[in-house]
Amino acid sequence: MNWLIRSVMVTLYPRTDALPGIEDTGIDAFLVRFRRDSSLLIYLGLLLGTFVYHSTPLLTVYVPLPAFMLPAAVRERHAARILTSRVYLLRQAVFIVKLIAGLCWGADPVVRQKLGQPPIPADPGTWRST
Amino acid sequence: MTHTAFREEPFTLDVDYVVVGSGAGGATAANALARGGGLVALVEAGPWREPEQYPHSAYGAMRDLFDDWGVGVAQGRALWPIVQASCVGGTTVINCAICVRTPADIFDQWERDHGVGGGSFRETIWKHQETLERELSAELVPSASAGRSNELAMRGANAMGYGSHVMTRYAKGCVGSGQCLQGCRSLRKQSLNLQFVPEVLAKGGHVISCAPVKKVLLDGRRAVGVTGRFRHPQTRKSGGTFTVRARKAVLVAASVTHSAPLLERSGVKNRALGTGFRAHPGTGIFGIYDDVVDMNAGATQGWASIEYRVDPGLKLETLSIPPEMVSSRLSGVGHELMTRLGDYRHMAMWALAVRAESVGTVRAGFFGKSVVKYTFDTGDMHRLRRGMGILARTHFAAGAKRIVPGVYGLPYSITADQMSLIDEGPLDPRAYLLILSHLFGGCVMGKDPERSVVDESGRVHGYEGLLVADASVIPTNLGVNPQHTIMALARTFAERLLDA
Repeated sequence: MNWLIRSVMVTLYPRTDALPGIEDTGIDAFLVRFRRDSSLLIYLGLLLGTFVYHSTPLLTVYVPLPAFMLPAAVRERHAARILTSRVYLLRQAVFIVKLIAGLCWGADPVVRQKLGQPPIPADPGTWRST
Repeated sequence: MTHTAFREEPFTLDVDYVVVGSGAGGATAANALARGGGLVALVEAGPWREPEQYPHSAYGAMRDLFDDWGVGVAQGRALWPIVQASCVGGTTVINCAICVRTPADIFDQWERDHGVGGGSFRETIWKHQETLERELSAELVPSASAGRSNELAMRGANAMGYGSHVMTRYAKGCVGSGQCLQGCRSLRKQSLNLQFVPEVLAKGGHVISCAPVKKVLLDGRRAVGVTGRFRHPQTRKSGGTFTVRARKAVLVAASVTHSAPLLERSGVKNRALGTGFRAHPGTGIFGIYDDVVDMNAGATQGWASIEYRVDPGLKLETLSIPPEMVSSRLSGVGHELMTRLGDYRHMAMWALAVRAESVGTVRAGFFGKSVVKYTFDTGDMHRLRRGMGILARTHFAAGAKRIVPGVYGLPYSITADQMSLIDEGPLDPRAYLLILSHLFGGCVMGKDPERSVVDESGRVHGYEGLLVADASVIPTNLGVNPQHTIMALARTFAERLLDA
């Protein structure tokens, strides 16, 4: 399942000359961590958004194939159209994927350096037990 | 003094007062009861995180501090997220600690429309607010730590000729680390996990964390305690049951989204329960400037205007957000999005919150979840659109070359000569990305038991020893940040309970 989610995220945040893409920011480890950490509700939202993205190229670029089988340029055009779809729930579903991907991309030290931001240390994830 | 966190074994405790929720209302009420000599148990659904345990990233904030990752939404024509915390200290850990006294017209409105909040009530609330300002070191954001975004906003408002001000916040010597949303590791923000909660412990009270209350226990019409099951903060698995019995009273301060549903699940009968849900829905506009802004260098929020609070009903303020959040907030995908993100250092985000007149409901849903139903009416959409116009013009007055409105159907960015696009923008709530942060109602305060849930002392009509002490009692919107009002109300209710 993670490769399908990864495929959407790489389309949303691709590598460019100026900035690293999400594939450069430890996305695979992030997805494993997110599966472990997330609540059922938000994970279901991620899966729903991924499903919507991959299953709708026929509606956007008129190609009867799942999005992961499209050439990169067509995939990007599909992503742009589904995120601006007139159908509110479709664009909101894929927006959740974009939101979660942004949490990974924007926390990467190289990305942050390029954006003039200091690196952020690892989150402790601990709490007071006594 | 004890703190009990997640445990597998059953846990029971007997105290004078149980307070459910440790945010602005709960922590303040518990503190006042403890100061008054009561034996208090403060029961909090989330874990207790010390400042050194605060997250650094937005991911960590959503995972460790936000209630259900911040993905709870108000259901209506649009799905707008509700942002609040679930941890000891509640939303005071993740907000910007903005301190604004309850405006006088609010008390008049409460008295006229709900039969509560007359002159003496107003004086009591203001007296408590004065004391709270001293106790929590409320002060103006220091100019040295304001940051460029806040300076630009002040410049823009001055150029526009409307009134605005540097914020007063419960932050002592803010150093402008830009980390309000992740919890202030610099120990400047006086969130209540650092202030009132430790004092409850010091006075012999108990704090029970990782403990979402399932039900208030009722003996007939008298509240006698609370019960629930511990929840592990990491795995979310259930642990042992807990039961805390109250000899004198139970105070519910579990937040607007949880207090009314908790009373509903507990079997409290009241026609008004869950009604009167209100909010200050807000959104942000980015300005893109020639010079570097670096909005995250400086206070997360430091500037505000209440010039338009009454007409049309708006609150304007700065709000800086990190790259992790900007990336999804900007429209576009792929190479186009990456190009836009390249402008990050030149962006300043300012926000507007609508003093909305729309009213919704908050009810108990399945699996212990709450269901909020809320849709903007046409009047509020016009307010929102007008606010977008004011904020956009303020950016241009401050020197922005373009603004990014983030509105579906509008271009990605707009120049000053395209302002008609904003002024005539869509009136469909689904076109806007709004967030609900200031929530009110669900257990509204009033004189008439048919139209309200609690009286002027926070006591649930028709029940003994059962109070509500959070924003869910507030029967109107305020048009200003509510933390100061919530705390003063909670202290008032607690002191009246001690005197009873």
